[in-house]
Amino acid sequence: MGRGASTNSIPEIDDDRFLLVIGSNTTEAHPVLALRMKKAVRNGATLVVADPRKIWLTKIAKRHLQLRPGTDVWLLNAIMHVILEEGLQDEEYIRAHTEDFEAVREIVKRYPPEQAERMTGVPAEDIRATAREYAAEKYAAVFYTLGITEHACAVDNVWSLSNLVLMTGHLGYESTGLNALRGQNNVQGLNDAGANPSYLPGYQSLTDPEVVLKFEERWGAKVPQTPGYRLDQMISGLHDGRIKGLYLVGENPAHTEPNAHHVEEGLERVEFMVAQDLFLNETTRDHADVVFPASSFAEKEGTFTNTERRVNRVRKALDSPGSAREDWRIVVDFANALGAGWWYETAEDIWNEFADLSPNWSGIRYDRLEEVGLQWPCTDLDHPGSRFLHAPRPDRAGGRAKFFPVEYQPPIEQPDSEFPFVLSTGRTLYHYNSAGMTMREPGVTDKQVEPFFEISAEDASNLGLEEGDLARLVSRRGELEAEARITERVYPGLVWMALHFAQAKVNWLTHDVGDPLIGTPEYKVSAVRIERA
Amino acid sequence: MVELTVDGRTIQATEGELLVHVLARNGVFVPTLCHDAKLDPYGGCRVCVVEVEGAPRPVPACATRAAQGMAISTNGRAEKLRRTLTEMLLTEHLNANPGGRPNELVGLAEELGAEAPFILPDAKREPYEDRNRLMGYDPDACILCNRCVRYTQEVMQCSALSLEGRGPEARIVPTWDRSWLDTECELCGGCLSVCPTGAIYEKFEEGFPANREVQLDKVKTTCTFCGVGCQIDLNVDRETNRIVKVTSDPSYLPNEGDLCVKGRFAFNFVHHPDRLTEPLVRGEDGELHETSWEHALAVAAKGLEEVRDRHGPQSIGFLASARLTMEENFLIQKLARAVIGTNSVHSCEAT
Repeated sequence: MGRGASTNSIPEIDDDRFLLVIGSNTTEAHPVLALRMKKAVRNGATLVVADPRKIWLTKIAKRHLQLRPGTDVWLLNAIMHVILEEGLQDEEYIRAHTEDFEAVREIVKRYPPEQAERMTGVPAEDIRATAREYAAEKYAAVFYTLGITEHACAVDNVWSLSNLVLMTGHLGYESTGLNALRGQNNVQGLNDAGANPSYLPGYQSLTDPEVVLKFEERWGAKVPQTPGYRLDQMISGLHDGRIKGLYLVGENPAHTEPNAHHVEEGLERVEFMVAQDLFLNETTRDHADVVFPASSFAEKEGTFTNTERRVNRVRKALDSPGSAREDWRIVVDFANALGAGWWYETAEDIWNEFADLSPNWSGIRYDRLEEVGLQWPCTDLDHPGSRFLHAPRPDRAGGRAKFFPVEYQPPIEQPDSEFPFVLSTGRTLYHYNSAGMTMREPGVTDKQVEPFFEISAEDASNLGLEEGDLARLVSRRGELEAEARITERVYPGLVWMALHFAQAKVNWLTHDVGDPLIGTPEYKVSAVRIERA
Repeated sequence: MVELTVDGRTIQATEGELLVHVLARNGVFVPTLCHDAKLDPYGGCRVCVVEVEGAPRPVPACATRAAQGMAISTNGRAEKLRRTLTEMLLTEHLNANPGGRPNELVGLAEELGAEAPFILPDAKREPYEDRNRLMGYDPDACILCNRCVRYTQEVMQCSALSLEGRGPEARIVPTWDRSWLDTECELCGGCLSVCPTGAIYEKFEEGFPANREVQLDKVKTTCTFCGVGCQIDLNVDRETNRIVKVTSDPSYLPNEGDLCVKGRFAFNFVHHPDRLTEPLVRGEDGELHETSWEHALAVAAKGLEEVRDRHGPQSIGFLASARLTMEENFLIQKLARAVIGTNSVHSCEAT
C-alpha cells in the first residue's frame, strides 16, 4: 500500500461494524484498545477472531477461526478464493486504485476452502461465512499484530492481508482498513526515526542522491552507502566475526532474541560493548564493557508515536536517580566524546531536526502537541494530521496499491516423533517483554510470577501431568522447566508459553530462522517435546 | 431535534439524548454520583432528580431521555429533594476518606448545604481484607451506586465485582467471595477510577499519609507500556520526588480515562533500588565498577574507536529501542550513520 503503519485511528473502532482480529491477543497485549473492540461488539458489531488459541476475545466473537500456527496464508487465500468465486470483490476499487490484481486472482484459485480446512483446521463453512460478512460490510476493519509477523513468512502474511483489504476496497475512509497494532510503546516512532538499516529517517531512501545530499548537508557528514546489518545479521555476525562492537540502548537480546543460547555464545565473542539502560540485564551484566545509567520515561522530555501514528508528548515528571542521565543526553555526550561536536540542548531541538528533514512530519512541532498529539502525515503547520491513510487514493507512488500474490510456505520447524508438540509464544497482560520492569512490581506480579505453559487436558493426561505440575520443555536448542496450566485455550498438539520469565526463557527453545526479507524471528512456531520434571 | 423547556427556557436537543447531558450542555448544573457517560443509564442514586411536567413523580435526569415538548424544572422542589437524598446518603456514610481520594458526595453535600441529620444505627458494614497489594475497599465509604460493578460488566465485560447482600449488609465484593487476585479481575483499576466516594482506593506504601494526596503534582505524559499510547497523569509528590499514583481523565485520547494494570500500577520500577545511578566500567578483574561520567565516556569512545580502526565501521552494530523516545532513536541512528559510519542500526522490534 505504500506505508508502514496502521491505516486508521483507535477511536474509529467504536464505529466498526465488522472486525477481523488475526494474530492479536488484543485484551492482553493492547488492553485499552481492546476496550473499544468490546464496545463495538456490545453495540452490535460482528467480531471474528483468527488465532490458534481460544483467547479472551473469542468469548465475545461470533466466530473463532482456530487455525494451526503458521497457516495464515492458507486461511487468507481461501477467504479471498470465496470472495472471488462469489464475485464479492470491489471491481471499481481494484480498477481505479490498484495494480497486479490478476496475479492474485490466479493464485487464490488454488486455495479452495475445503482444502484450507485440511491445512488450517478451520471449517470451510466458517471460511465462507467470514468472507461473505467481511466483503459485504463497508465498515469492516482488520487488526493484526505479532501472530502475523513473528513468522518466517511474516512478509507473506502481511501481503495476504493487504490483498484481502485491497480486493474489497476496505481502505481510505473511517472505521475500516488494515491496522497493525504496534506492540511496544514507541515501535512506530522507532521506525519513523530511521533506526533501521534499510532507510533514513522518515522512511526516506538511502539510495536517492537528493535525499542523501539533504541529510549530508544538514549533518555535515557523509551518509554511508554500504548496506547495514539487521539485528539477526548482527547476531550471526558476532559468530562469523563481521560484528566486533555493539552499542546497546535499552535492549536485552540475550533474553528477547530467538535461540537465546546461540545469542549468548555470540555475545561472548564481542570485542567491545557499550550499553545504556535502567537496570543491568543478562546481556550487559556479563558482556558490556561500559554501562551508562539511563532515564525512565518519567524522567525526560520527548515523544512516543502510538499505533495510530499519533505523536504524543512524553514529559519529565522527576529527576533521574544519582547521576543517571536522559538517554538522548548520553548519546550526545558519547558522540561528542568521539568528536562529533553536537549542540542539542533539548529534546525539541532533536525533534525539529527530524521534522525539518522528513516531509510527512514537517508540520508537527512541540507547540502543536500540548493538548493532544498529531497523526502523521502532517506536512505543514496548518495540516490537521491524518486520521486515516490512503484517501482519496493509496499513498503509494503513482497512487496505486500493489497486489502481491502469495503462496503458502510451511513453518520452518514441523513437529515430528522426537519433538511432537508445536510451541507458540507470546506475552501476557501482567508482564512486559523480558520483564525487567514488571518483575519489579510486586502488586502486579502477585497475579502471575511463576513460569507456566498452557497445555490441553488431553495432552496433559497423556503425559500424566496435573494442573501446576512442573514439566520440562525440550527443543533442539535448549530446555526449561515450567508449571503446566491445563486449559481449553490450546488444542491438543499445541502448547503456549510467555516470554517473560528469566529463569525459564522460552527463547532457549525457539529457533532463529527468520523471514528472509526482514529477518523477523519465527517466535510463533517451534517443535518441542514435554517431559515430567 | 426536539424542543423542550428547562426552567422556562426553550432549548434544543437530540431526541433520545439523556437529560443530564442536555442540561450540562446548556449550562444547567444537576449533580450526579452514580452516573457515568461510559456506562448504560442507571438512575440509582437519584441525586440528579428533576421534575417533568405531567410525570407522576420526579425523574432522574441521568436515565430520562429528551422528548418533544418536555417541560423540565430543575429547581424548587427538585432542589429540596436532592438535598434530602444527599442527607440520606450521608446517614450511612461513616468514612468519608478511606484512601485519601476525592469524595464527590462530600463535595455535593457542601454545595447543597446538606448534613447528616443522624447516623443510622445499622450503618456500619462488615469490612474485609483482600490480599492484593494494589486496591482496597471500605464499605463505610460506599454508597452502593454500583458504578464499579457496572464498569467491570459493561466496559471490561468481566465478572470481577458483585453487589452482595441487602439493606445494611449490602456491599461490593469480588465475585464468589474470592480474592481480587483469583477472580476474572485484571487489576485494571477501572473500579477505582469511577468510584465517586473513594470507597475503592489505592493501597499506598506503608507510612504514606493519606492526606498528602492533595499536594500531588500532576504531569501529563504518555504511558510507556504498549503501542496504544494512553495519556496519563503521573501524580508526583514533590517532597519525596516520587510517583505516588497514575491517573487518567475521560477527556484524554485515545484512552478516555481507561487504563490497564500496567499503565495504572506498574510505575514503581522507576524508583526501584536496582536502578543504575552511576556509570559502570569493566575493570581488569572482569567486574563492572562505578566510575565518573568523564571516565566512562572516554573508555567507551576509545573502545569503539579501536574496534572501528581495527575492523572498519561495518564491524559495529547499534541496537536502538522502542522503549525510548523518537528523539533518542533519531540520535542513535545519526550516531551510527554520521559519526561511526555504518547503516547497521536496528532493534528487536523488527516487525
